[in-house]
Order: sequence, then structure tokens, then C-alpha cells
Amino acid sequence: MNPENILEIKDLKVKFPVTGGLFLRKVAEVKAVDGVSFNLKKGETLGLVGESGCGKSTIGKAVINILKFSSHDVEIDGEIWMKTETGEIDLNKLSRSEMRKHRGNIQMIFQDPYSSLNARMSVGQIIEEPLLYHTNMNKKEREERVAWLLEKVGLQAEQSKRYPHEFSGGQRQRIGIARALSTNPKIIIADEPVSALDVSIQAQVINLLQDLQEEFDLSLLFIAHDLSVVEHISSRIAVMYLGNFCEVGDGYRIYHHPIHPYSKALLSAVPLPNPKLKNKERIILTGDVPTPMNKPSGCGFRTRCPIAKPECADFIPPLEEKEPGHFAACPYVSA
Amino acid sequence: MTTYFIRRFLLIIPTFLGITLVTFLILQIVPGGPLEMELMKIRMGGSDGVSESGSTSGSTQNIPQSAIEELQKFYGFDKPIHERYILWLGNLLKLDLGKSYVYSEPVMDVITSRFPISIYFGLIGFILTYIVCIPLGVYKAVKNGSKFDFITSALVFAGYAIPGFAFGALMLVLFGGGSFWDVFPLGGFRSSDYETLSLSGKIWDQIHHTILPVASYMIGSFATLTILTKNSVIENLSQDYIRTAFSKGLTEKRVIFGHALRNSLIPISTGLGHAISLVLAGSILIEKVFNINGIGLLSYDSIIQRDYPVVMGILVISTLLLLVGNILSDILYAIVDPRIRFK
Amino acid sequence: MHKKLVEIKNLKTYFFVEDTEKQKSLHQEISDPALMDLYKTDKYLKNKVPAKAVDDVSFDIYEGEVLGIVGESGSGKSVTAYSITRLIPDPPGKIVSGEIIFKGKDLLKISFEEMKKYRGNEISMIFQEPMTSLNPVMKIGDQIMEAILNHEEIPKEKAEKKAIEMLTLVGIPSPEKRLKDYPHQFSGGMRQRVMIAMALALHPSLLIADEPTTALDVTIQAQILELMLRLKKEREDSAILLITHNLGVVAETCDRVIVMYGGKIQEISEVDPLFEKPLHPYTVGLLSSLPNPDLPMEELKAIPGNIPHILELPKACKFNTRCTKAFDKCFETEPELLEVEKNRFVRCHLYENEK
Repeated sequence: MNPENILEIKDLKVKFPVTGGLFLRKVAEVKAVDGVSFNLKKGETLGLVGESGCGKSTIGKAVINILKFSSHDVEIDGEIWMKTETGEIDLNKLSRSEMRKHRGNIQMIFQDPYSSLNARMSVGQIIEEPLLYHTNMNKKEREERVAWLLEKVGLQAEQSKRYPHEFSGGQRQRIGIARALSTNPKIIIADEPVSALDVSIQAQVINLLQDLQEEFDLSLLFIAHDLSVVEHISSRIAVMYLGNFCEVGDGYRIYHHPIHPYSKALLSAVPLPNPKLKNKERIILTGDVPTPMNKPSGCGFRTRCPIAKPECADFIPPLEEKEPGHFAACPYVSA
Repeated sequence: MTTYFIRRFLLIIPTFLGITLVTFLILQIVPGGPLEMELMKIRMGGSDGVSESGSTSGSTQNIPQSAIEELQKFYGFDKPIHERYILWLGNLLKLDLGKSYVYSEPVMDVITSRFPISIYFGLIGFILTYIVCIPLGVYKAVKNGSKFDFITSALVFAGYAIPGFAFGALMLVLFGGGSFWDVFPLGGFRSSDYETLSLSGKIWDQIHHTILPVASYMIGSFATLTILTKNSVIENLSQDYIRTAFSKGLTEKRVIFGHALRNSLIPISTGLGHAISLVLAGSILIEKVFNINGIGLLSYDSIIQRDYPVVMGILVISTLLLLVGNILSDILYAIVDPRIRFK
Repeated sequence: MHKKLVEIKNLKTYFFVEDTEKQKSLHQEISDPALMDLYKTDKYLKNKVPAKAVDDVSFDIYEGEVLGIVGESGSGKSVTAYSITRLIPDPPGKIVSGEIIFKGKDLLKISFEEMKKYRGNEISMIFQEPMTSLNPVMKIGDQIMEAILNHEEIPKEKAEKKAIEMLTLVGIPSPEKRLKDYPHQFSGGMRQRVMIAMALALHPSLLIADEPTTALDVTIQAQILELMLRLKKEREDSAILLITHNLGVVAETCDRVIVMYGGKIQEISEVDPLFEKPLHPYTVGLLSSLPNPDLPMEELKAIPGNIPHILELPKACKFNTRCTKAFDKCFETEPELLEVEKNRFVRCHLYENEK
């Protein structure tokens, strides 16, 4: 592994089998993630953007190895290397019990602050629970850590006895963050952490995440559909469409000079809070995103692409370096 | 979709084998089977049951071994148990359920003679339940929280809490011509002089004998279906598409019956498939209380009398009905809800 | 400016929730005679306290405009919209007082029967959740035709022709075939097109769109907004009331904007001046809490604190718990909504002397 990386993903493929026929044999498969490789550097924030069904959340769940809980026959191929204090390990090769030992190092924050906290557990219990499995702390130490964490995320230590329903959406997301931080992880996967929140609260949580990242030296995989939020928080961005990366590179660069036709369309579709840009030239894509079930052959974007050529059906375009550190998966465009 | 249902039908076979095998084994292994009963009868001094005290002791020796073997052969107990099961299964494939020990008639005839009576009560109860409960449930949903809703809920839950047979017994005490009122007959399917009555007399007689048993049949299922309908309608009334319907300017009536009810019937219609097995199975206790010769009473008697061929015969029919009913439920589900695509 | 299409005056829509503790001290607090009357006449309100979702809201909608209402959850923006068509679930909600004058008629004074003639005909609505807003067990053709036949006495074939026309208009391919499809056979964006086709089938004067693109992906959102604006252009005198939390959507589609917070209008402005120079501290906070990709910015300027629960709204100014500019007066009296510039209204003590 490259010394500056903390996570290296090589050719990750996530397939969900589709069964059918009289004996429920596998008749097809949905390639939710279709050969994706990327690195997460130490201390950086990598933003993963794309529309619903593009596979961005699946990547997060595959990395943290929790996909098998929701569908036991999922197939995950590829390598997921993570750096730990004791060496490098391929998370995809670990058994469930081995994975559990490493889960303290890699934690997740979820989108829905309403359903991702157990309503029957007090906030203190929710944050304390990972400590029971991943540390040898005694009761008093755990309580101290819970109080400390609550204050870190902008809540009060006294609130640990309360239950999730007594908190607002933004406060619950703070609780979710405290829970994720409890085991001192190195990597945080944040899956749409602010998209369920009101605008004024969204900004608070983004600021909190950035402050905590600096304080705890966290590496952040930030999954979201809101491009301006991703641009704000990420140093690098990867744009996804139907299970593949379209474009990877520096966040500012991609936001202001996208190369791939999909990134261009996506960015021009975002409504900006500036009426002067009302009449900016806009690429409006026709049609819907195909479902991963009916993924077109070759380049997944070709059915909606304004510059598609017949050859696009023949091969999946690989990521090419169009300018230093800026990759795009389309042979017909340049920086 | 078709393959789904073909698969479901094929799955009936192993399920059916499993259920019959387990029941068969239990019946054959438990003590007090037909052989023991027969021997007991002989020991007790003959089938008339009149025995002199003191003469029973030591009478086991009086039955010669050959007679026991003969009896074993008659009941088929001379062969090992797995052979007996396979033999029974083979006969079943030829639609031969064997002969009843008690009635000495083919099991098929015994059962089919009882079917019409059970279907009669089951079907009337079933139809009445749906006719009453669905409108009642809808009305309760619309008037949720009103006095009417409260009182009817109290009534249906009281009905739910009272066992049907107990309710039947109470009705008989009150209305069966005992110490209180003489409104309804004490039981039976029809009066003994039914054949001599005029047509209108026959109809009246039949209704007269039907009311109390049907009421007892229904009382328990009332609560379930009414509350299911009510909750389902209430849930649907809070859905987004109801708001859309109102925003189109539809009347409340049209919104409830054209939109909410159709969606509310989805969970209810799936219960229909299961209902066929209930319709035919009858109710042991209610048939006992009202002395109705239906399937329920037959299965009760055949178990008590260890009439194994009849017990197994009823089991075969009710198992098949249940399994087919399940599939029927799925088919109904697919018909009423276009979103359902089984695979 | 065009003619007024709708005039909303002092609209109050409250939701009544059970709270025996607060109820005891409530009666001394009620100063509103309309609310007092309601408590006297309605037995249902016993033991209940009002949650003032929409509290004394007045504004106009002009013919031909796209008017946006922005606000966060609990601001009262959707309740305001639903009050116009009287689609407030009762119980627990009640329109306590006010006037909604649509083409010279007060919609709050007419009977429910008469209100039905307006819904779907003169005033149509589309909703946030295209996935659940259509009846799942009814063919979409039947759902569109139902809207038409409910208001027009025409033969079924004619209604079907009209439904096909509408589906073509909103860009659904092979509409004759798709009429017979069920909602689950459509994608989210396509369902929202069906909703629009249904809403516009009778050429309403006012279309109320409640977060019409919130549940959709960005590229689909762009399609739907473009469609709505294009169709509106075809009828000069119709208006759209667009409810949204997305300031970007407002900037790109609206002519005028109303900013709501805590059940009250805080600011009304034409769209350009609002984004150029927001006046109310809440509007200022809302705009600066958005990430701006053009500025290198380490920290977002978030509005501090939480959105107060609707039952625990502060006295006086509703924003005083989170306002960085709040001073003594903000905790004592509620500011009035004042016109500080032409067509520009702000509810804030900071601007009282400018008038």
C-alpha cells in the first residue's frame, strides 16, 4: 500500500443475484458496483457523488462489510485494503468475527437520524455500546468517555440519560456522530449524513464534521447527492453513474471544470441560489437513469449522453488521466 | 408469475407428505389405539358392555393369541409402521381412504355425507361475516373516535372474548326453551318432521335451525375482520394518494369507496383463501353444542373412537384445502394488487 | 403588475394537540376572539392546546407569477398552501380565522360542497412524493380521467383523448399505451409528470406545488422544473405557488419569494433583491449557511441553535432564540411585517426606523 493511503480499493464489484424460474436458479445479476478502484488518503475527505441507484451507498456498505446483513447472497469481489496499527489487511477476505475486531477502526454515519438510532436505548447506551465490544474500559471510564463525546459533538453530558425521540433531527445526527467516534476510528464513512436535515442545521453538522476531522485526524469517505455540499467538504471528488466512476479528481477542479459529459450535465442541473445565473446554459438530460438491472452495454451513460457514438456500446471506458490528478472515463473528451 | 404458482403447487407434495407422515406416526404410536380398544371391549365382556363385576380380572388370558393376531391383521398392525404408511399412501393415490372402523363404510362416503352440512353453516357464516364486517369496519374508520365506534368496538371485542361454543350454550339456555324463552330449537340441522313440511315451512324450519349456530360461528371472527378493515381503511386514509384524490375535488364518498377501500381490501382479500379451509372444517365444539352432524363432530367422534381411517381422511382433505387455500390467497393478492409480481 | 388572483388575509391555521398541563393556563392567554369562540363551541378542543402552524399570514398571489414560499420544517409553508384548498386534516387541524379571496370569493366562507368545485379545477396541487401520491391500484389513465370527469360532463372517450393529450404534453412517450399502466410501472420523475398532467388537465388558474422536486434526483429535478415553467408560459394568466426548502430552486424559478419561520412570514421580496441583499437576519443566515463553491471557505456560517418545536415557539420575535442580532426589544414585542422598500416586506425590529 502507498504510505499516504489509509484505504485502497481495487476493482470492487458488488453483485446481487437475480433468481427466477421454477427452481429459483440465478438467472441474472445486478451489478450495483461494477469494478471501482480508489484510494482514501490519510486525513483527506473523498466525496462520492451520484444520483439514486448509482451504487455510491453500496460502496460504503461494502467497505465496512455490512452488506451481507441485508442480503446474504450478495457477491463482493475485489480488494479492500485498510492500514491498521498492526499492518495491512484486506477487509474483503475477513470472516464476520474477524471483521468485528476491526470495526472499531472504521465507522459509519447514516443518513436518517430518525431510524438509525435505537429508540429503546438511551443516548448514553447508544454511544457506550461500541465501547463494550472494542475496548476494555470499565463502567466509569465508559461513562466519562460518553460524557466527553457528547460535549465534543455539541451536546451536554447530562443528556446521556435521554432517549432519541427527545432530540431534533440535527441533534440526533450529532448523537450518530458521537457513536461513530466512540471507538476512536481512523476512517469514517458518512452516507448522506446531512441530506435529511434542514438547511440551517445542515451547515452546523458539516462544520462539526470538519472540526472533528481535524481534531481526530479522520479520513472521511463522504457519500452524498448534493454537489455543493460535497464540493465544500471534500478535497477530492468521485462522480458515479450506474456502478462506475465517471470522473475522479480535485474537488474544486471538478466542480468548476467538469470533463465527463455526465458530470457536466449533473453540475448544470443543480439549481444555484443566485438568480443572475438563472439563464445560464443548461444541459437537460433526457430520460431516466436506467435501473442497474437494465444497464446498457458498454458505457452506462451512453443512452442519455449528448455526445454518444455507436462505439460506446462496445466497451466500458476506463478512467484516463486527462490532466494531472484528474481522471475521466470517456475517450472522447479532454480537459 | 406462472412459474411461481407451479412451484407453489409442486411444494404442496413435500408439505403434504410431512404433515400426513407425522400425524400417521403419532396416531399409530400413542397407546389406546383401535386394537387396544377392541381387546378392552372383549375383556369387558362383549360389545353390549354389560359385565359382571369381578369377572373382568384375569380375562386377558381368555383371548387366544390367534384372535389377537387376527385383530392385528384386520387393523393392519401386523406390518411394520413404515410399510403401513406406504400402504396407506398407495391407497390414497387410488383415492381409496380405507374403511371406517366404526361405520364399516368407505371413509370417503362417511366424510362426503357430512360435507353439505358443514358447508351450509360455514358458507353462511363466512358470507355474513364479510357482509357485516367490511361495511362496519369502513364506517368505524370514517367515524373513528365517535361514540358509535366506541360501542361497536366494545361489542365486537366482547364477542371475541367469548368462545363460540360458550356463547352457543348460553344462547341455548336462554332461547332454547328451557327456563327462559322458547324461541329457537335446541339443535339439530332440521326438524325431524322436515320432510312433511310445506316449502315455506321447510325454509322457515331451516332458518330457524340456522340462526343460533351461525351466530356462534361468527361471533369470534367478527372482531378480527372488523378491526382489520377499520385499521386498514384508517391507514389508507392517511396516505398521500388520498390527499391527491381530495385535491382533485372528489367527494368524500368517492375518495373512500373509489380509492381508500380498494387499497384497504388488499389485506382482507388475502384472507379469503385461508377461509375456504375454515368454511369446510366446521367447528367441533359448536357442532357438539348444537348437535349438528357436520365434519367437526365427525372428526371429534373419530378421534375419540380411534377411527384412524376417518381421522386420516379428514386430515388429508383439510390439509389439501389449507395448502390450496394458501396459494389461492397469493393468486388473489396478485389480482387485487397490480404491484405484486411473484417470481 | 398583474391583477390579484388570490388575496390571503390574516390566515390562522392551528393544530390542536392534547396537553392537559398547558391547557390549564391557556384561557388567560387567549386574546384572539376567533380562537376563544372556537374553544367555546368545539368540544373536541377540550384538553388541547393550539400549535400555531400558520399564525396571521397575509399575502397576495398575482396572475401570471411564480410565487415561492421557502422555509425549513415547521415553518408553516406547506400548511399555508394546504389552507388555500382547505385540505387541512381536521382533526387535529383547523383554520381558525382569516380570508382567502380567490377571484372575488372567500374560499373559507363557502360550503365544503362548493369548495370541491374549485379543487382540481380552478386550483390544482402537486405533491412532494411522486412515489406515493398516486393510487397504487388504479391505472394512471383512470386517475387522470377521474380528475377530468369530476368537473366536466363529457363522454369517457373524450376524457381519454384529453388524458392522452396531457400525457403527450408532459413528455410521456407512447401515452395511449401508458394510460393502462399502473403507477409502479413508472419512475419517480415520470410519476411526477403524470401528477402534473393530472393537475393541469383542467387548466387551473393556480397550481400549488408542494416540494415537487425534493424527492427527485438533480437531473430529473431540472427536467420537472423546466416542464412546469414551460407549461405555465402557455397560460399567461395562471400562477404557480411553489413551496420548497431549496433556495436554488427558488432562485431559478420564482418571481417573488416569501420567507417563513415559526408560522409567520418574515420577509417578502422579489427574487433578485432577496438573493442580492437579504434583509431579515433569518434570510441572511439561511443564504450564508449554504456552501458557496465560488468562495474558498473553511467554515460555513451556520445559524446557531435548533429550530424550536412548534409548541415551544418563543414569545415576541419567533427567531429571537437563534438571531445573532437580537436585542432587548426582540424579546419583548413581536415586530410587524413592514414594507421597507417597494414590494419588499420585512418583519424585524432592525428595519423599523427605515420606514
